[in-house]
Amino acid sequence: MKTKARKDSIRYRRKIEEKYSWDRLSDIDEERRSHKKRSIIAAILVIFIFATYLVKLYEVQVSSHEYYTVKSDSNRIKIRPVQATRGIIYDRNGLIVAKNINTFDLIVKKERIKNKGIFYKNLKRLLPTTPTDIKNIQSQFKNRRLKDITILEDITLEEYSKISVDQYILPEIELVNKSRRKYIEPLATSHVVGYLGKVSDYDIESSVFKIHVGMTDIGKLGIERFYQNILSGRPGFEKLETDAQGEVIRVLEKREPHRGKDIYLTLDLKLQKYIYSQVKGKEGAVVVMNPKNGDILAFVSFPGYNTNLFTKSISNKKYNELIQSPGRPLINRVIAGQYPPGSTIKPFMGLIALEQSIIDPEKLMYCNGSYILGKHKRPFRCWKKEGHGKVNLSFSITQSCDVFFYKLSELTGIDLISENLYKFGFGNKTYIDLYDEKPGLIPDRAWKLKTKQLPWYPGETLNIGIGQGYFLATPIQLTLGTSVLAGNGKTYLPHLLLGSKNKTSGEFLNYKNSENKFEADIDQDYLDIIQHAMWRVVNEKGVGTASHLGKIRNIEVAGKTGTSQVYNLDKGKTGTKKLQDHALFISYAPFDNPEIVVTVVVENGGSGSGTAAPIAKSIINYYFKNKKQVALK
Amino acid sequence: MKNYLGESNNRGFAGISSILYVDTKLFIAIITITILGLITIYSSSGNELSLVIKQSTRVVIGLIAMVFLAQVHPDNLRLFAPVLYFLTILLLILVLLFGVGHSADRWLDLYFIRFQPSELMKIFVPLMLASYYSDKPLPPNISYIFIAIILVLLPVFLIMKQPDLGTALLIGMSGAIAILLAGMSLKFFFVTTFSTAALLPVLWMNMHQYQKQRVLTFFNPESDPLGSGYHLMQSKIALGSGGFFGKGLFNGTQSKLGFVPEHSTDFIFTAFGEEFGFLGVIILMSLYLFIALRGISISIKATDNFGRILTGTLSLTIFLYVLVNVGMVIGFLPVVGAPLPFMSYGGTSMVTLFATFGMIMSVKSHQRILRK
Repeated sequence: MKTKARKDSIRYRRKIEEKYSWDRLSDIDEERRSHKKRSIIAAILVIFIFATYLVKLYEVQVSSHEYYTVKSDSNRIKIRPVQATRGIIYDRNGLIVAKNINTFDLIVKKERIKNKGIFYKNLKRLLPTTPTDIKNIQSQFKNRRLKDITILEDITLEEYSKISVDQYILPEIELVNKSRRKYIEPLATSHVVGYLGKVSDYDIESSVFKIHVGMTDIGKLGIERFYQNILSGRPGFEKLETDAQGEVIRVLEKREPHRGKDIYLTLDLKLQKYIYSQVKGKEGAVVVMNPKNGDILAFVSFPGYNTNLFTKSISNKKYNELIQSPGRPLINRVIAGQYPPGSTIKPFMGLIALEQSIIDPEKLMYCNGSYILGKHKRPFRCWKKEGHGKVNLSFSITQSCDVFFYKLSELTGIDLISENLYKFGFGNKTYIDLYDEKPGLIPDRAWKLKTKQLPWYPGETLNIGIGQGYFLATPIQLTLGTSVLAGNGKTYLPHLLLGSKNKTSGEFLNYKNSENKFEADIDQDYLDIIQHAMWRVVNEKGVGTASHLGKIRNIEVAGKTGTSQVYNLDKGKTGTKKLQDHALFISYAPFDNPEIVVTVVVENGGSGSGTAAPIAKSIINYYFKNKKQVALK
Repeated sequence: MKNYLGESNNRGFAGISSILYVDTKLFIAIITITILGLITIYSSSGNELSLVIKQSTRVVIGLIAMVFLAQVHPDNLRLFAPVLYFLTILLLILVLLFGVGHSADRWLDLYFIRFQPSELMKIFVPLMLASYYSDKPLPPNISYIFIAIILVLLPVFLIMKQPDLGTALLIGMSGAIAILLAGMSLKFFFVTTFSTAALLPVLWMNMHQYQKQRVLTFFNPESDPLGSGYHLMQSKIALGSGGFFGKGLFNGTQSKLGFVPEHSTDFIFTAFGEEFGFLGVIILMSLYLFIALRGISISIKATDNFGRILTGTLSLTIFLYVLVNVGMVIGFLPVVGAPLPFMSYGGTSMVTLFATFGMIMSVKSHQRILRK
């Protein structure tokens, strides 16, 4: 049975095989050969492609190894700057003028924002935003130096916790602890100290400032800008390894920042504050300087503005408000306000005439209230209509007689006047340690020909003689000029820096006064005459234009009033041009051994004797009162 | 050793391999790659053992599948091929109806097991074609070719719908390899290829936006370094920063810090190349080359058409997968989701690959001696 079944099976198998072999009888070897041929072609192809791949891999992995290593490192390694602590600004007595405070900011890292549209949408859901906020954020986006975008500044932790409830809407936001500049007396010191702001392209292009990598803030104005390199220090950095999401894995390297140096100013903050309180609602400038070393004790341009607003990103609206404010608070009137000095120029004119031997000190002239020059139809008027009668130089200064000075300047001539005014510091920048100082203007024939294409008219000389016309001086120039008179020709350049202190090493560097001394060659006899005339202005009862001030704490003050008339825009009040009186007063005290020079300019402030002189009086009074108290301590 | 029907095991050396019908050389190559894969997964995932354990389980399942299939006689494979093929077609339809997945529905959740039927198709299409041509006179005439093309395009279309363009293309290409190995005339092949190329605009119009973007990015990766080109750029950076000797095991920053996406799956070659360098890459690629050539040699020695077409197609297809995956990470080809055989993390693909080699080994071990 077994063999039969096997036989059947084999037969069946053969049957099937025969059936198929009929079909492919002639093919079987051909099929194998064809397959083998194709398989070998395939193998060759495989080897060829394998080789191509290896070449490409070699190219990526071995030839471009360095290129990709750099890319790989820049992928994972991020440098994060660590801001340096900015130096603190003190006044001369060690009172803090500007310091750093800790605040919290709400920021978003730019690298974490993948889609700006969605980001803005979510931001609007999270916080109430105005179009200006959005504009501000957009401009931060464009600023390539900013790695983060500040959404909210200066918030408290409480405010943050309210926001953080909904943080899932915008998980990219972060709270950062930030050091911010704070000004103790922002209004009183706004122009002299300035403020801090974000580094701009303009700052980088300027070669003056050292812009370290990672630095975000820079002094924009005032002392903050002038001594930027001393105050700022140098930022440190942290080399971080981050993952693809920007999360920090570890710190690879760290360099500590260098703290900026502290600065001591020549300013007396209390005096500065007092002066600012005395000039509320007015526009103008006050400078108090020590003529013996050039220390600026007070530097007030008013009105001031709140510099603390600028250390945050100030809103456009607020900034525009400041710009359009009728008092024009952004102008630094002390160094950039150019005024006709009016009668305050008379002591200088007198001195020039004496030195040039134009007049004899005792020569008398007759003032009948007006002066007629050559063919001029309109007479030049004295402020006193009825005239001063017979006057000499000293009395003309004391009484501020215009007619005398018309005559005097006609005799001196514009060439001698303009030439000699320079030695008192007019017509040039004083080079006080602040930027954007204006040079004022001493007009002469060449200047007029160049700018107006007209010859000099003799009548114009007369106007210059009483500090009117084209002649312009800044309050700081008037101060310097007064200190030349007060210091018997010797004076020092005005300056604000007292010294700088390296807090880490304790090293203190003093400002060197001796290097900034200068001496005008003036005959002491003539100077005495002028000084005495200025003494008479304040002290000769009923004669001097400022004699109503009286004695101040037994201290004798010398000064000169001035009221200059300016045909000027009405500062937007009515939009029309009209004559304005600027009140000026220059003074120094004590008379025999001057310690302070006080210059007061009040724009549109009425007369020098009525408005400016009383302010100076209160300043001198305050100064000596407090000086005495300090001495008693 | 020959049995009464003249069958030979053709065993090089005795032992387990002779009993289990396993080809020792292929097995060693595969296991080496698999171990390299496990190490890379461990390193690039930030030393996460759970992934390695999960993958190892799949490897074990794969090995069992491989050994099991090696025992099955090729005739049985041939007979079962149509059943397996049509069953998987059914599964693909089910995926379209009930699929689960993140961006594209590729997964079928059978509650006790979750897998991708499209991965199964990677073996079943060559198997089906080999089976189909086993009793036809070769080279095939036009009607046989036409039917074969339909057998290929049916799953390709279903997978494209998921949408999984990468797998669909790979399966389409494996079908083309099978038909070519069957002896289709090259003239006819080129005519078909060019007419397909003419149909590309139709394909383009049916592509999803993200697929179009990938193709566009492929042609200009730097145009969008943070978008679709990001993958490619980061992959090249990782490979390039590896250099000749690599950054060393566990020192790859690009993959570990997440700059290289999918560093355990589609971009595992990148992670490997970053840590093992060009040297490691040469070794790995050589292993793949060895597998492919050994598969072709088995195919040449096979005694019947079924064995020839099946082993030839499968080994060439595996090598094609390697080329597509590596080509993708080095910027030769667009970024398509294609795993690297025996390396990429993923269950279905791993088991399928081992099964593939089970079938190749079966053909090799059960072959009849050539009559001559």
